[in-house]
Amino acid sequence: MSNLLQQLSAEMVSVMNDVRHSLVQITNGPSGAGAGIIWREDGLILTNAHVVRRTSLTVTLPDGRILPAKILARDPERDIAALQVDADRLPAATIGDSRQLRPGQWVFAVGHPWGVTGAATAGVVIGQGHDLPEMRDGKREWLMVSLRLRPGNSGGPLVDSAGRVVGINTIMTGPEVGGAVPAQIVKDFLIRAMSS
Amino acid sequence: MSQLLNALSEALVETVKKVGQHVLRVEGRERLPTSGVVWSRDGLVVTVNHGVERDRDLRVGLPDGTTVSAQVVGRVPNLDLVLLRAGAESRQLTPADWAEADQLNVGALTLALGRPGPDVLATFGILSAVETGWHAPTGGHFTHYVQSDVVMYPGFSGGPLVNADERVLGINTSALVSGLSLTIPTAALRRAVEALLKHGRVKQGYLGLGGQPVRLPKAQQALAGQETGLLLMMVEPGGPADQSGLLLGDILLTLDNHPLRSMEDLLGLLNGNSERAGATVPIRFLRAGQPREGRVTIGERTS
Repeated sequence: MSNLLQQLSAEMVSVMNDVRHSLVQITNGPSGAGAGIIWREDGLILTNAHVVRRTSLTVTLPDGRILPAKILARDPERDIAALQVDADRLPAATIGDSRQLRPGQWVFAVGHPWGVTGAATAGVVIGQGHDLPEMRDGKREWLMVSLRLRPGNSGGPLVDSAGRVVGINTIMTGPEVGGAVPAQIVKDFLIRAMSS
Repeated sequence: MSQLLNALSEALVETVKKVGQHVLRVEGRERLPTSGVVWSRDGLVVTVNHGVERDRDLRVGLPDGTTVSAQVVGRVPNLDLVLLRAGAESRQLTPADWAEADQLNVGALTLALGRPGPDVLATFGILSAVETGWHAPTGGHFTHYVQSDVVMYPGFSGGPLVNADERVLGINTSALVSGLSLTIPTAALRRAVEALLKHGRVKQGYLGLGGQPVRLPKAQQALAGQETGLLLMMVEPGGPADQSGLLLGDILLTLDNHPLRSMEDLLGLLNGNSERAGATVPIRFLRAGQPREGRVTIGERTS
């Protein structure tokens, strides 16, 4: 029995380690800060639009380098922003298929809640869609999760049990309920942003 | 690779999918619908009283996306429970696999399910606390106190608390005690459903007395056959206890041959069995240190 728990625990640690390699910190003037995800090894970084309200941005990479970043595209409506830093061969995250997510599925969030860098929380998928309780503006699609998000988690990755990014952590609607932008919405945003 | 983690996640998803077939949407109030669970094959559905504010124009949403009408069979407000019967079209509804009290183990993995919209939703946690017999602030008496740490997402009240065996431990409610995720366990549901079907209400027994537990002196413990009893601090004039001859200062030992060690014991006996209200049952008590026997006709309290 304890072997089972040990294995489970070791696997969680391993997933967290992998994800934290693709987690960045975004600093936004003297006060604002949030998280971001290394989406591609050529320096493309994804985060929330509300994390990058100003233009003077710096990104702290997992290896400690601090680089200036410029905004490639920003969609306040869906709360997504794409940034570029001048670096290559970065440890990009593995992006999953958020449409395959089901209620009850195990998920993790990593970010910098209250400024604590690289902190992890775990929980399950509550559900996803346009018309979930609390999120009924009818237009935006949300991925609701039963886990702890706090200020500083915004823009960070939500990953499944295999460590694949399935969403960008965006809001908290209660002490133990959070909302993420589904990875599929981020992919659609990128296709539109990069083609224009 | 995260083999075990994936397997755990997959098992949770499968459990949600399977038990979700018994979870319905209950449309009985202006704001967000609540959830309910299929109790039996004949279309009975259990849900929370606070989620069903009207008696007419009730509808339940089925897992296949259809919606059928429903009627109130009965309400037990102090248990936050309402029993519905879904329309004839819903005969395909299959009851949940209800788990008994021996499955209520602290630390067990649990899922809370809900269906406030078209789809089943889920949160996850463990059983936090289980006690036998609980007198709620609402005045309702529960067979067990069952608390978990599942998040009660909006519209989850009335939905099932599910264990690792894909069985339902009871229905969740966030309204009994603010801020706590509590579950009305299967045994309490069964007791209430049976009483509602038989009498149209849950009868609550009433004695018209107030008391507090006292430890008996050593010599009297031997005479009484138990260590504690209920010292009567109040006897309502003309009430059932008064009419049976009980006096202020008597120490009540047993009711219907069940020992009374606390007011909880007494309330459990009075409210736990719908057949006891109105019945005449034996009592044992101590008066001036001497054991006595008598009979009391239990009254019925109207809630």
